[in-house]
Amino acid sequence: MTARNLDPDIAVQAGEAADDAGAGRRAARRSRTLSLASFAVMLLAWTALTGSGLWPPVVESIFLPSPLAVWQAFVKLWNIGYQGRSLAHHILISLMRFGIAFVFCIVVGVPVGLMMGMSASVRALLDPPIETTRPIPKLALLPLFIIWFGIGELAKTIVIITALFPLMSISAMQAVRSVSLRKIQAAESLGASRWTIFRRVVLPASLPGIFTGIRVSVGIGVTMLVGAEMVATSDGIAWMALSAADFIQTDIVLVGVLIMAAMGYSLDRICRVIEARLVHWSGKD
Amino acid sequence: MSIAPIELDRPERKAAAKLVFDGVSKRFGRGPDAVLAVARADAYVGEGEFLCIVGPSGCGKSTLLNIVAGFERPTAGEVRLDGRTVERPGAERGVVFQQGALFSWMTVLENVAFGPRARGQAAGAARDLAMTYLEMVGLAGFARRYPYELSGGMQQRVGIARALANDPAVLLMDEPFAALDQQTRELLQEEIKRIWRRTGKTVLWITHSIEEALFLATHLVVMTARPGRLKAAYAVGFDADADRNVTTSAAFTEAKREIVGLLRAESIEAQRQEGVGR
Repeated sequence: MTARNLDPDIAVQAGEAADDAGAGRRAARRSRTLSLASFAVMLLAWTALTGSGLWPPVVESIFLPSPLAVWQAFVKLWNIGYQGRSLAHHILISLMRFGIAFVFCIVVGVPVGLMMGMSASVRALLDPPIETTRPIPKLALLPLFIIWFGIGELAKTIVIITALFPLMSISAMQAVRSVSLRKIQAAESLGASRWTIFRRVVLPASLPGIFTGIRVSVGIGVTMLVGAEMVATSDGIAWMALSAADFIQTDIVLVGVLIMAAMGYSLDRICRVIEARLVHWSGKD
Repeated sequence: MSIAPIELDRPERKAAAKLVFDGVSKRFGRGPDAVLAVARADAYVGEGEFLCIVGPSGCGKSTLLNIVAGFERPTAGEVRLDGRTVERPGAERGVVFQQGALFSWMTVLENVAFGPRARGQAAGAARDLAMTYLEMVGLAGFARRYPYELSGGMQQRVGIARALANDPAVLLMDEPFAALDQQTRELLQEEIKRIWRRTGKTVLWITHSIEEALFLATHLVVMTARPGRLKAAYAVGFDADADRNVTTSAAFTEAKREIVGLLRAESIEAQRQEGVGR
């Protein structure tokens, strides 16, 4: 092809893209600096309120131990464990309860949502059970699940599933239903079968919406984990914090809270990294 | 080098007809709120003809194209391509949309190879074929890019290459350049004319730009305001190769004047109807 056939803006496009990337990097660096500053201020306020041995505490350590004391509690827990079990065990068992429910909802809930989005019959069939049970606070069902499934892992996993399942399936359904008709028509007029259209057009186009559901599920899932470990448990990170509270071991409570915060934060980051890889084109249509 | 009135539904055109509009009507809705979008469209389109349909907005020209594409069923009458009634979308009718129809999650090459792949070609063969058409539209160097990395004009080229890659019997273009700036549009118009000559495709082109229609078309149809009827048809012959500035020639201006006159009455009618509708 000759240059005459090219758009006038092809040549400048590369340069503009480089500028955009530079501006994007600067903006990202500024956001990162601000986030770090925000963390530093919180830590400083915490240090100041508790005195940290430098001055008399404004808040008694029984209510708010100093950052150093919390760190020492963490080191102690890591070395000798809590109530006969290692800290790693408590973390892992909690992650497992959350993880099994989370993966189950991705593997089953998302496909169910996709089918609901694709077929009006499936939607008519599954919408009533999902919509009628949605307003029920799922933690209220925990006693019932304990009667049905015993005090083992099953009841805890199921109560988390009941919270995440509708979230993921409904967001997948919405994602399918909002796929642009034009793209589907384009695929149809290119001779694609129904299955090809689903696999290569509807599914990828729905990914951003599916990811939104998954990321919201991380937050809700960690919250449900705390609830699930409130009763009939003797391990887990939320249980550790709750039972330490009974003995007013505030430093251990804070260790548990911070670990759960870190869990939620890192799971969300992982989702975001996968999302950025998988749906790099999202929002750039 | 001029335009001449012609009747597209003459029996003598029937023998050579590739695409046939046989009393096509389309009504949306039911009862008193029903809107008649297209009323009894009859036309024979010959093999290799470049038919432009111009009309005021809302006159049903896109509806007509959607019926040919198989996205919508006519309320009455039918469209036939090579003697077969159109009932659903199909690969023998390639469609180029105004914008936003590319698959954002695929590279340019994957977009163009989508049709051949969907129709069962091996991945390698489909890629080679896609590359041929990308070269034809001047985008061979952008095969690995994603659509969002391309300008609007380049995206439309991808859309054209994607439709051509299926080697369709007819190309359906729904205002493909309407969202582009003037310079890009003119460049692409020249290029689509070159591609049309090279491939010999039958083209159905919807536009609201009279100049675009006169520049591109071998045949031009003016549609009336709702209900859309085929008001007048012309055989068009402006040869840009013989005269690069054909669009500024007296004959072109004269032709434009005639179509503008026809359309103005229709546009006023369309606006009046919209006012009544509110």
